[in-house]
Amino acid sequence: MRLVQAEILKLRRRRGTMIWCALLTIGAVVVAEIVLLSLHAANPSKHGAAGGAENLKNLLFLLGGLGNVAAILIGSAAGSQDVSAGVFRDLVVTGRPRPTLFSVRVPGALAVFLPLLAVAYGIAVACAYGFAGGKPQPTGGEVVHYAIYLVALCGIDIVLAIGLAAFASSRVVVSVLIAWNAIVSHLLISIHSLGGARTFIDVAAADHFLPAGVDDAAIAMGTATAIVVLLAWASVFLTAGRLWTQRRDA
Amino acid sequence: MDSVIETKALTKKFGSRSAVDGVDLHVPAGVAFGFLGPNGAGKTTMIRTLLGLTQPTSGEVSLLGLPQPSKRREALARVGAIVEEPRFHPHLTGRENLKIVAAARDRAADTRIPDSLQRVGLAHRADDRVKTYSLGMRQRLGIARCLIADPALLILDEPMNGLDPAGILEMRHLIRAFVEEGRTVFLSSHLLDEVEKTCDQIAIVDRGRVVVQGGVSDIAATGDPTVLLAVDDADAARRVLATDPRVTNIEAEGRELRITLAEGLDSGEVNRALVTAGIAVSRLEPARASLEEKFLAITSRLEGNE
Repeated sequence: MRLVQAEILKLRRRRGTMIWCALLTIGAVVVAEIVLLSLHAANPSKHGAAGGAENLKNLLFLLGGLGNVAAILIGSAAGSQDVSAGVFRDLVVTGRPRPTLFSVRVPGALAVFLPLLAVAYGIAVACAYGFAGGKPQPTGGEVVHYAIYLVALCGIDIVLAIGLAAFASSRVVVSVLIAWNAIVSHLLISIHSLGGARTFIDVAAADHFLPAGVDDAAIAMGTATAIVVLLAWASVFLTAGRLWTQRRDA
Repeated sequence: MDSVIETKALTKKFGSRSAVDGVDLHVPAGVAFGFLGPNGAGKTTMIRTLLGLTQPTSGEVSLLGLPQPSKRREALARVGAIVEEPRFHPHLTGRENLKIVAAARDRAADTRIPDSLQRVGLAHRADDRVKTYSLGMRQRLGIARCLIADPALLILDEPMNGLDPAGILEMRHLIRAFVEEGRTVFLSSHLLDEVEKTCDQIAIVDRGRVVVQGGVSDIAATGDPTVLLAVDDADAARRVLATDPRVTNIEAEGRELRITLAEGLDSGEVNRALVTAGIAVSRLEPARASLEEKFLAITSRLEGNE
């Protein structure tokens, strides 16, 4: 627990990273909501109410895309900061096993990221209900599905970033994972000739948690399959990162 | 516990090159032990191998009487170390950096943070970010980081590096204070003078091999005795001394001579020979060979062997 708290301390004191992550999550939702409210106030007949189920869905995709980047930033920082600062060897000479020093990065990064995501999503949900006007409000089921989707999509990226950062610099990690999430995975999902193999793409597995009909391009799979795919990705990256951390010269 | 560090035939190879080459080291408890060698001699690799930061190719290591790596955690719980230059998270304060490492140690480590900062004179800057610290302050913070373990053994890699004369003096006093408290300090350095002033025992290392180890004064005193002379006629004295084969070396500088005596000749006989020849001797004293001279003699002998 003390090691996890130490991870949280290291991450929260990274002022630049934390400001960017807050902007990409809470800031993005607040700005989008202000724009929606302003448009509605300026021309109510053309622009409907700023809340409602449809706007929550739009905000969800905004938060999914930008929150994903924030998750990668935090994950890559958590995974690389000890080595890049030259402090890893000082932690190793305390006698703590290296796998432990590696593993505590995951709960540390999640503990820093998830509150940001929760606040951003909370604002989006509150606005969806508060400013719905005459529009249909989101159902409780939709709210829960969206939350699970966000946690799955961003959580898996934190884990992948931490695992990958054991091998590569944080810049490389950020570039590779953003490219994967924004371009490569969606390209692969859109290639129909890949058939069932697309089930094994983490982004496709995270998409499974969206409510039915929200994403037309979603790959059909069961909840158990989606969970297994996400856990498999996490397991592969964490195992590789842990092994590398264990074997490398500190 | 007789020795806090014990190695047997310890070897670390990088490819075909041996950075540490069959080292047998014995560091007794309660001393300041200098690991002395020129740059690239293998000092840091030796320290990294002792601490398990890199795996040895072969050989045995024991720390605080505990075999490594099987009892690594138990041993390192009572070891504080600075390897190469002390590094920290620059965006954290000095105190926060200590908290990070204290979290990896036992619970009591947290409670030792204020005293450790006080001890190294950083209490007033403890809440400033480390990126604003000078190199000397980072060295001291590195020592504070060692102290939160309440270490029986401190391993310091070139602790005087980058320090100004006042900082070096302060570090020397700190190290001696640690020894007074019963801790053992193992420090590597290429600063011979500092090692001589700070350490009780030394090992001289060159090209990965320990060439000699023992007490500082014992090592400095090895070899043929040397005598310093001041005479009224250096040339005449030189001629007189040159006739005695037991005088193995004569160096003259003005009216002063530095001569090396072989076994069987003492300084009294030298004095009598010079006075008998009509040469006035105004000074005659045994020259204390410095560690630096011994070090250079040892390492240059090794170079000559190659």
